[in-house]
Amino acid sequence: MSAPMFSRIQETLGPLAACRISTDTRMDIETSPERLLPAVTAFRALNWGFLSAITGLDTLGAAASQPGAVAPPAAGATPGASPAPSDGHVDVLYHFCQGPSIATFRVRVPREHPSVPSIGAVVPSAVLFERELSEMLGVEVAGLPKGKRQFLSDDWPQGVHPLRKDFSIEAATPVADSAPAVGSDEAPGTFIVPIGPQHPALKEPGHFEFAVDGEIVTGASVRLGYVHRGIEKGAEDRSWVQALYLVERICGICSHIHATAYTLGVEALAGMVVPPRAQAIRTIVCELERIHSHLLWLGVAAHEAGFDTLFMYSWRDRETVMDLLEQLTGNRVNYSVNLLGGVKYDIDAAAADSIRRGLDFLEGRSKHYLKIVTTDESFLRRTRNVGTISREKSERLGTVGPTARASGVTIDLRAAAPYAAYGEFPITPVVDKRCDQEARFVVRVKELFECFRLIRQILDRMPPGDLSLPAPRKVAEGEVISRVEAPRGELFYYLRSTGGVKPDRVKVRTPSLCNWAAVVNVVVGQKLADVPVILAGIDPCFSCNDRSLTLRRRGRAGSESVEAWSWEDLRAHGLRYYGGGRT
Amino acid sequence: MNVALTVVALLVFPGGLFVIAASLAYEYVDRKLVARFQNRVGPRWFQPLADFVKLLVKEEIVPEGVNRGLFNGLPLAALAGALTAALYVPMAGLAPSWGFRGDLIAAVYLLMMMTLCIGLAGANTQDRFSLVGAVRALTQLFSYEAPFLLALLGPAIAAGTWRISEVNGYAREHLWMIVTQPLGFLVAMIGLMGKLELPPFDAPEAETEIVSGALTEYSGRGLAFFRLGRDIELLIGLTLISAFYLGGLGNPLHFLLKTLALLALTAGLQSLFARLRIDQTVGLWWRAGAVLALVQLLVLIVLKYLGVQL
Repeated sequence: MSAPMFSRIQETLGPLAACRISTDTRMDIETSPERLLPAVTAFRALNWGFLSAITGLDTLGAAASQPGAVAPPAAGATPGASPAPSDGHVDVLYHFCQGPSIATFRVRVPREHPSVPSIGAVVPSAVLFERELSEMLGVEVAGLPKGKRQFLSDDWPQGVHPLRKDFSIEAATPVADSAPAVGSDEAPGTFIVPIGPQHPALKEPGHFEFAVDGEIVTGASVRLGYVHRGIEKGAEDRSWVQALYLVERICGICSHIHATAYTLGVEALAGMVVPPRAQAIRTIVCELERIHSHLLWLGVAAHEAGFDTLFMYSWRDRETVMDLLEQLTGNRVNYSVNLLGGVKYDIDAAAADSIRRGLDFLEGRSKHYLKIVTTDESFLRRTRNVGTISREKSERLGTVGPTARASGVTIDLRAAAPYAAYGEFPITPVVDKRCDQEARFVVRVKELFECFRLIRQILDRMPPGDLSLPAPRKVAEGEVISRVEAPRGELFYYLRSTGGVKPDRVKVRTPSLCNWAAVVNVVVGQKLADVPVILAGIDPCFSCNDRSLTLRRRGRAGSESVEAWSWEDLRAHGLRYYGGGRT
Repeated sequence: MNVALTVVALLVFPGGLFVIAASLAYEYVDRKLVARFQNRVGPRWFQPLADFVKLLVKEEIVPEGVNRGLFNGLPLAALAGALTAALYVPMAGLAPSWGFRGDLIAAVYLLMMMTLCIGLAGANTQDRFSLVGAVRALTQLFSYEAPFLLALLGPAIAAGTWRISEVNGYAREHLWMIVTQPLGFLVAMIGLMGKLELPPFDAPEAETEIVSGALTEYSGRGLAFFRLGRDIELLIGLTLISAFYLGGLGNPLHFLLKTLALLALTAGLQSLFARLRIDQTVGLWWRAGAVLALVQLLVLIVLKYLGVQL
């Protein structure tokens, strides 16, 4: 279905880039930094897809083993497309997605002084991705507005970029006299209300500055990165199996979906065909996780609007699904269900029964909540016509997940590009055209009913068979993009293998990162009291955003003896701390 | 009056210690009820006292850039206002310790000192949340005090006196004024909740927006006094409303039953609604509350003029 569209893209971009259709859902568009902006502009005019992610790749030491499937086209392609294997390059990949199809612009720049133009003027949602690219890989993005750091900490030394292959932890000694992150650029005459990094409205650290005139917000900015943990970098230093447990810890709420995206990607790279029973169990846990996440969100969002009673009740009921997850997997948070090649836990008849009982209870409660969020007069005063993101704005700013679906955009990968068992057990996307905060409540609560229906259906027609197959230690060379529908929207994984025991690159783009642009845009002109409500509307997940890098310091903060802790130091410290020196 | 008795009345009963103990007990009932309505366990019976003691012994941090005198003095003024007001109401169902013609107006003004002090306390600091909270608290003051006062004037006009003890006496001998003046009762109840910034009228201290509003910078003793003052105001407010609208207070049992019934009502209202934005709060009051109270008052005056016995 996308082949004709790919051909049209090819025709349009002909003079500007070398297009190559690698599979029926993948297309690579090789271009140069000079031609990138005209190419993307022409591409956007086709009105196809949205910018899902920007991946930066440092090919140092791996340049010789470019994956065959994406090898640069023959002569006549972009200048600099034939690398000298010794010194490597930085590749910048712009992934545009529509349904199951992905068109990737590939730009190759030298490792010394890499520079690409900003495409923010054409694709507004690119700005956060570009900032991440420039901080993490040191690619200068020309035309990106000067601003404070978005992801790295303020005392991170200049010119050190953690996702470069030649990065060393010794180089990342904190700078002593760094500028403060907070409250530094207040223009005279503006009154800024800071929210965060620590604030009762935030369950995780993030920093927002809202300029207000009385109660009306006139400006907004966001600063992320307070919970960077170095997961992308860490994954490059672990085996394919170890990295699975690392990515599962990106998020405490949607841990399973991260593990699923990763395993599906690795399995595709390794060419494994996973038993259908394993896929069905993965899907059931995905949906149970969605139920728990949506109920959690319902409570938090109600609390932000000062409706604590709904908060208490929805969290009480959420315990039902937490108990089910614990019963199935032994854990409430990191379920650790996935293996490369299958799943660990089976769902037997007794477990299926208790799931059904739990779902029956939750279905009754969800009906009640749907009634509350659509009829409670005092609550509707806080949600109806608040934080309206029109369909056009939603598409232009690249929102995903329930946030987009509440603006009337039908975007749900479970239906558009079925993965795991969603092909066999299809879902119907829940869409609401009202575009306001109420719609976001309605969409999420209605999605719960879809979850209940789907889980029951899978339990009734559970495929028999094995739970897993053995996974190879080394994964074949190549790259793969794995996209799944997390509770908050499209989760994007880019995995690249050079044929070894470790991944060469694990790029994660979480749904929250796509939704920030819309939030910062839409709060301007709203009332200060509605800001927490609108913020909560996208169900932001800071831990998901922030997965890159942080430093531990030895000695007290600000003292002379600041130094980086190596992995061995941390490990030794952990053992000392918990185990009294046992190894 | 005997000096020793005066001192006892001021410091022990019915003022001073008794009011403090009773208001902490009422805070407990309020918290426990809201918690049970929200399907939570709720605090233990001594929790309000434990909180108070804990705050008293905590370090008091005075932020930079404040007027220290004001910062330390405002909580005391607020508490003193509330404690003084307690002397004019039929506390525990007994006759008020003090009284004079027009003491109703004095009591209402003393009760208003609390909000005023909170607003000033917020405006005294440079903290963003405190400033926004102070603006909201004072905005709310202008929209709630007038209807609350008007709602208390209704029974006073019916009784033909502005002396609290006489209104109380009148109420005991006549049909409950909640029946004859239902609008006034409604306005008084909601006015009291708005005055005390109880949910859903807690925009001035909406924690998800402005942390703790005007009191964000208060940590130890000051916060303890403000909180205690608010508890006392709740007790006085409930006493006044039950004395005026629920057939007066003649003995401690009446007092207990009527004020606790009202407290249960406020607890229910607190857990039923989502928080109103400050513009919604003010709009609600000037469009509905003040108008209702005025209509009630007009009807009363006209009836009184026509010589109808209420």
